[in-house]
Amino acid sequence: MKIPTRFSAFAVAAIGIALAAAITIFFTSGDANRSQVVVYTSVDQIFSEPVFRRFEAQTGIEVKALFDTEETKSTGVLNRLIAEAAHPQADVFWSGDPVRPFLLMDRDLVTPYRSAQAAAIPSSFKAGDGRWTGFAARARVLLVNTERLGARPAPDSVLDLADPQWRGEAAMANPLFGTTTMHTAAWFSIWGEQKAKAFLNALKDNQVRIASSNGEVKRLVASGEITFGLTDTDDAFVALQSGAPVSVVYPDQGEGDMGALVMPTVVVKIRGGPNSETAVQLIDFLLSAEVETMMADSAAHIPLRDGLSAPEFVRSGSDLKAMPLDYADVAEQMAAIQPWLRQWAGL
Amino acid sequence: MGGTLKIPQQWRPWTMVAAAGCLFAGIALAPLLWPFFGLLDTAGPAAASGIEASQWALLLRSLGLSLAVVIGALLLGIPAGLLLARGDIIGRQALWAIQVLPLFLPPFLLALGWFYLFGRRGVLGNDLSANLLFGPVGHIAVLSLIFSPVVVVSISLSLWRLPSSLEMAARTVASTRRVLLGILLPAVGPAIGLGALVVFVLAFSELGVPMFFGVDVYPAVVFSMLGGVDYDPARASMLALPLFPLIVFLALLERRLGKGWVFASQTTPLAECAPLHLGAWRTGLSLLLWLWVLASLLPIAGLLSKALAGGASGQGVQAWLGDSLANSMTGAAVAATIIVVIGTLVGYGVARRIPGARLFEGVGLLAFVAPTALLAVGLIALWNRPLTQWVYAGPGIIILGYVARYGIIGVRSLAMAVSQSPVSLEQAAASSGAGFFRSFFCIVLPLQARVMAASWLLAFVFCLRDLESAVLYYPPGREPLTVRIFTLEANGPEPLIASLALIQVMLTACIWVALFWLFQQSHRRRY
Repeated sequence: MKIPTRFSAFAVAAIGIALAAAITIFFTSGDANRSQVVVYTSVDQIFSEPVFRRFEAQTGIEVKALFDTEETKSTGVLNRLIAEAAHPQADVFWSGDPVRPFLLMDRDLVTPYRSAQAAAIPSSFKAGDGRWTGFAARARVLLVNTERLGARPAPDSVLDLADPQWRGEAAMANPLFGTTTMHTAAWFSIWGEQKAKAFLNALKDNQVRIASSNGEVKRLVASGEITFGLTDTDDAFVALQSGAPVSVVYPDQGEGDMGALVMPTVVVKIRGGPNSETAVQLIDFLLSAEVETMMADSAAHIPLRDGLSAPEFVRSGSDLKAMPLDYADVAEQMAAIQPWLRQWAGL
Repeated sequence: MGGTLKIPQQWRPWTMVAAAGCLFAGIALAPLLWPFFGLLDTAGPAAASGIEASQWALLLRSLGLSLAVVIGALLLGIPAGLLLARGDIIGRQALWAIQVLPLFLPPFLLALGWFYLFGRRGVLGNDLSANLLFGPVGHIAVLSLIFSPVVVVSISLSLWRLPSSLEMAARTVASTRRVLLGILLPAVGPAIGLGALVVFVLAFSELGVPMFFGVDVYPAVVFSMLGGVDYDPARASMLALPLFPLIVFLALLERRLGKGWVFASQTTPLAECAPLHLGAWRTGLSLLLWLWVLASLLPIAGLLSKALAGGASGQGVQAWLGDSLANSMTGAAVAATIIVVIGTLVGYGVARRIPGARLFEGVGLLAFVAPTALLAVGLIALWNRPLTQWVYAGPGIIILGYVARYGIIGVRSLAMAVSQSPVSLEQAAASSGAGFFRSFFCIVLPLQARVMAASWLLAFVFCLRDLESAVLYYPPGREPLTVRIFTLEANGPEPLIASLALIQVMLTACIWVALFWLFQQSHRRRY
């Protein structure tokens, strides 16, 4: 029996496509001779990728990066690291907040590294044993839509989220994900369980809209869907840059107030990562003044070193009243409150 | 000893189907079952906590929302399907081709487009539209519109295969309206049921759109166990348990409905006959259908307006695009090839009722419906080992994920096609001395060549649009375009995101044009 010509053409085409794809994959799977480093990061890709590109340009080392999504911010990548614990794929974790690396440390997934570049970082933002080092911080702020606000005085405290005068007009991100998880845990750490739970329940009563992410909060405020929302400085910066009618309020800065939550990004070296030498080079680069300046300019992150410039609306560390927190305690709180938070969120 | 292994002739079909089916089960079922071993290990805490009352309530709510989406899709899809398949609608073929496009795009992108249009400050938005969009109404409306083409396609395929004598006889005694509603509509009942079933599955497993619109759904509970701080795959498995009886029920229902519409017509099929004259209704109904199709394309217009308004530079877009387009294409191409190979072999087994084939088909259905987060955890646990780094650390893991999740597309489409081709040809070959493999490669495959090509393109498109599974296990530096759009969406400039989304749309549209052309060729050849 002879195979019809038409079928032969299809078969050849299909085999050709499959072969071409296989060959492409085989030959594009990276230059085996080129040094590389694998980094997982929960810092927004739009800000972190240019940093990696500059590192590549300066060192010739290829950066293979894995980014988080806005919805699972800080947690998707973290859980990937935990899931891969038996055979780590990552060399470096650059976390968007200072708390989640503690969950890795609790599982002994981090190895200490004291970078010479970290000398200028204040001691409160790094571990004495070199297990984690913070730099380029964000703060939690209230982003306010000035058009919807009208002549009313702007909210100036996170407590305003539960104030009946803003009923149905405020938003925050789902506390199960992202920096909102840390912020919620920080309330439990500062206020204690009873007051923190009462506050979160009051948010529900006040019809605070629970958005899927901080970026979504920004979008809701910028588009005038709501009057104000709790988000991060980098999200607020993007909204300001887009020309949206918004203003930024650093909350709780008055006398006797608890202060705003300040969250340095944190870099840790993963234990057993496949590229230990290049990992050290990347960590040194990330902790340099050059990267803090880059992050300040592009993402409105607060430089933790003295003497670095930042965009106008970014307050310096000394100009900002920060919540007095022990990040390790916040990490413990964060893990402990999950079942209750899940119930609160209806999941 | 020393001789070649020879499989007895009567065992050859079974051996072939079993080999392909076992490979498929290894790819798709093993990762799904893997988290359950964790459940056994930690049976104490995970099992003791069980599923809470609020979670049962959320499960019911999700089922209700999915049913509402089904009703919405049926309300749109049934009239559109009947009219596009049999009415003399103006621009009928173009309409049919265009209306399917949104189905092939990641629903999240379309939700973003709707937001650009009907958000409070959107092009067409106001307070009311925004309030409706961010809630169950928006969720149901957007998903109904996205998934209604499933019903249209299901009805069309069924109608075109109906024997023309049915409609011809009716035409002589009844009006067009009565032919459509009294004869054709009841005749495509099983196809409507099948379409409703697929819509239900797609709506229930959707995570991106409800999260975007702030609607709580049950898959988010499972996801939160794997994406939240208290990473707990065993508990996620426990929460996924109630979905398994649901999947079995849907599979049985699909099988029952499938019986009603998979048949080979021995008389002239309707596809060959001239469409029904709608008379005075023609212009009005054509206008309504065009409006419906244009409405479904509105979010793409929203993305376009955002991309143009922001003035994202070509160089900027290209830089941010990186290798993601190539990653998408190569991963999807290889996966689609594997899906077609497995689909052809297992699908043949299903069509020819080879023992065990239905079981492998069930595996495919299970992997398609099960929460993607569960599949992701299993894939990581299974493949992240020293010996399998060549798979896990490269594009191989993405390909395996695609094959697991979308393998059912190949199995179902080939099973349907083979079941409609006469078995007598294979019997004739056998009686003239041809062995099974010769008959399979020289009769079955040539007959199904176009279906295989169409199935390849369909699987390719579904792999291209995948977001929710690849995002959970893509290798560093190897993200497909949909993942890149999703990760860049965090604080990325909206014009850039919209531009990247439009590239995804254009790529999908090109493939759909090829698929539609193949479909038409296949019809012309057949009829």
